[in-house]
Amino acid sequence: MIPGKYRSVSGRAANNVNCGLHLVIQTSSLPEKSKVRFKQVEFKLNKETPSFPGRLLQHDLERNYSSRQGDHINLASSSMPSFPILQRSSEEKILYSDRLTLERQKLTVCPIIDGEEHLRLLNFQHNFITRIQNISNLQRLIFLDLYDNQIEEISGLSTLRSLRVLLLGKNRIKKISNLENLKSLDVLDLHGNQITRIENVSHLCDLRVLNLARNLLSHVDNLNGLDSLTELNLRHNQITFVRDVDNLPSLQRLFLSFNNISTFESVCCLADSSSLSDITFDGNPIAQESWYKHTILQNMMQLRQLDMKRVTEEERRMASVVAKKEEEKKRESHKQSLLKEKKRLTINNVARKWDLQQHRTPNIATNQDTKVSDSPSQDPSQLHGSAVVSAFPEETGSLDSGLTSALQGLSVTDTHLVEVDGDTLSLYGSGALESLDRNWSVQTAGMVTTVSFTFIEFDEIVQVLPKLKMKFPNSLHLKFKETNLVMLQQFNALAQLRRVDQLTIDPQGNPVVNFTLWKYYVLFRLSHFSMQKINGTEVTQNDMIMAERLFGILAHVASSELPQYRLISILGDARKKQFRYLLETKGKKPGLVNEENNDSKRLVGENTNRATLNYTTRDFYNERLEEIKEKKKFCKMYMEDLVKEATDINMKNEALQKLWPQMFIELVRDAVIEIRNKNSYMKLCLQQITDQK
Amino acid sequence: MLSPERLALPDYEYLAQRHVLTYMEDAVCQLLENKEDISQYGIARFFTEYFNSVCQGTHILFREFSFIQATPHNRASFLRAFWRCFRTVGKNGDLLTMREYHCLLQLLCPDFPLELTQKAARIVLMDDAMDCLMSFSDFLFAFQIQFYYSEFLESVAAIYQDLLAGKNPNTVIVPTSSSGQHRQRPTLGEASMLEGVEASLFYQCLENLCDRHKYSCPPPALVKEVLSNVQRLTFYGFLVALSKHHGINQALGALPDKGDLMHDPAMDEELERL
Repeated sequence: MIPGKYRSVSGRAANNVNCGLHLVIQTSSLPEKSKVRFKQVEFKLNKETPSFPGRLLQHDLERNYSSRQGDHINLASSSMPSFPILQRSSEEKILYSDRLTLERQKLTVCPIIDGEEHLRLLNFQHNFITRIQNISNLQRLIFLDLYDNQIEEISGLSTLRSLRVLLLGKNRIKKISNLENLKSLDVLDLHGNQITRIENVSHLCDLRVLNLARNLLSHVDNLNGLDSLTELNLRHNQITFVRDVDNLPSLQRLFLSFNNISTFESVCCLADSSSLSDITFDGNPIAQESWYKHTILQNMMQLRQLDMKRVTEEERRMASVVAKKEEEKKRESHKQSLLKEKKRLTINNVARKWDLQQHRTPNIATNQDTKVSDSPSQDPSQLHGSAVVSAFPEETGSLDSGLTSALQGLSVTDTHLVEVDGDTLSLYGSGALESLDRNWSVQTAGMVTTVSFTFIEFDEIVQVLPKLKMKFPNSLHLKFKETNLVMLQQFNALAQLRRVDQLTIDPQGNPVVNFTLWKYYVLFRLSHFSMQKINGTEVTQNDMIMAERLFGILAHVASSELPQYRLISILGDARKKQFRYLLETKGKKPGLVNEENNDSKRLVGENTNRATLNYTTRDFYNERLEEIKEKKKFCKMYMEDLVKEATDINMKNEALQKLWPQMFIELVRDAVIEIRNKNSYMKLCLQQITDQK
Repeated sequence: MLSPERLALPDYEYLAQRHVLTYMEDAVCQLLENKEDISQYGIARFFTEYFNSVCQGTHILFREFSFIQATPHNRASFLRAFWRCFRTVGKNGDLLTMREYHCLLQLLCPDFPLELTQKAARIVLMDDAMDCLMSFSDFLFAFQIQFYYSEFLESVAAIYQDLLAGKNPNTVIVPTSSSGQHRQRPTLGEASMLEGVEASLFYQCLENLCDRHKYSCPPPALVKEVLSNVQRLTFYGFLVALSKHHGINQALGALPDKGDLMHDPAMDEELERL
């Protein structure tokens, strides 16, 4: 880098200064164009005190320059009394005709340089110059170094048409301006200033190096027109975004270290630059990101060095792989969020329907077309092997294909939602209950331990409980929300399940939770499950004792006080029903866990004394009552007949009772009258006998 | 067996009064419903068990409401069963809402109507704040009155409204000041208004009612007792008094006295045997 080298050179050209008026220029070699050599030159000034202005001048001089003895100051009065005039001896002029070094001369102003019109290199480093002046006549100047001064404004350069290198680093320049005529400028160094914007450089079509490090730039643009620019140094600024770099056809090196770039989008124009091969971003927030390296590499395939380190093939490959994965992940999460949104909409829809149902007459049958499908949820941590369900679980047995099959066309109905997420099966809306009929893969079904019902009438859930028992044998935790649980009795229906460890009844939509005794009743009726938790709180021994105390009598009454035939009929009823269900008719009333049932052999522990407490849904109950009506009518008629018969007989009996005494007397009287005359009676009898023959 | 009172009634009336037919019909109906199971162990045994359970009062367990309501004996049995099963709830001291009591009733009778429970609750709560909590004994006694004498109470309510409105089926009377405007029980705060109806007048109407109607009503003597203690009373005041009257409770015979409500030595014995 030219400016840097140059800096160091000037650093070395330190202190062979005698008496402040001796300028010493050291030899150095400058690469490339202006190879100007410097030699030691002594420059003497006469000490003769001139006229008053001169004296003043000398005073100035003596004040400003640490003057020592024996100097010859040759001061000529000039029209501009404040500027010193520099003259060199003719030997020096001949020796170093094209270069002049005035560094560390404690100059506060540019002196008038007389008779040096062919000067090509001028060095004012390390002074206190505030304005560029008095160099307009040096029209052959190619190299001008004003590094480390106090210049506040670029000016006075309009005649230097041949200028190729302009070094204005470490000054106080606030604005890039007045460079219009410097069309040959090759290197422009403005580092260490207070420049806030890049401007007025579009005409510098020969400019190859532009150094704007350590300024106050907050963004980069206005770079068009710099067709030759190969190196752009923007280190140590406050840059947040970069634009127009793709308009620089020759730019090879771009240094953006120690700025404020945090996203790739803010420098995205770099991706379009085909010439860039070297770039630095260290010291920016973006370099701390995990995706930094591969994003840069992926987007800037032409890069050869990043942050001063060569980019290897390996890195490039890694970058593309990672980028692809990122892309995949983004697509995945996008899909996820779409699915989530669909789910949310569905649930909202189901909720709305549910509300309507609750506030008007329940009319479950809707005529919405149900494209039967569900939206499965993808577990993002699919790599960890959690269960993934796609639309057709029987087709995809493996987990890996879950991703791809999920991309098949799924349609989410807006009437219900079924979702399997690892160990939880969630059902929203009554239509979701039909999904229990599907062929669930054994793996998926086996993993489900929690089943959650929302926006479904409990009475409907009761009817599918046998199916649930069969298809999801490991479901241990049941959750109910907005399921219209209103009676304690309804819990009886849960007794038919194999086992329930945890029960969560959400107060929302389940008025039963408002009862004081509901938990105890659940514990009582489902005591054979030995439940661990109800609504998140552990079940304690005290709870169980209390439940027994409260409802134990009910159990006792329900078992021992029921007449035998009732017991048999209730239990037998259930048995019949279960059998019928297994024969694949509609599984109607929820039966009981019958002790004779194979299933419940395991549950020998169940208190059979509460087995008679079961739950029939309101509809079925009414249905049954309807069925009985016929029988009742018949019975009534039958009984009436019997009663009629009985009363008839009774009446006849009573009539007989009343009449009998009279009849008896008559019988006796008739008999006595008959027998009164023995002879005639004998004759009568004989007559009767012969008549009979 | 052939006592004169029995023979005094004609056949049907006798049967109806004793509700014999109801039980017979029900028994035959049950038989029909469960013929496969019952035929296994004999019809005679079935009838034995059936009528035994009727005597013991266990026949109403888990039966439909229409049956439970059918005869006074059924009603009384149901009350007794409810008391025996849930006495522990009362003993525990929990105060429950009307809905929860209704739930408990439904455990024994799945289609028990809510209106009855609501009416019973109204007696306890004097028609205020139906969501209030009630104690077991309060509810039980009020429920007893409401359930056992439900038809009677309906007629009484009608009579009460009539009296309030100033119409008296029996005698001509100057209507009370503005009590005709009050539909329900008037607020206690209005001392200027005359509350309710006059007790003696009320009793006369009730006496007529009891004579006229055959279905069960509280013994008139006891009703008179209730009404003789006060000058005027409101409808719910009357019901509350009925529910708290020991005599009526004993006449019903379903529940023990209030003091003994929490004790059931027979049941405790049985439980201990297990």
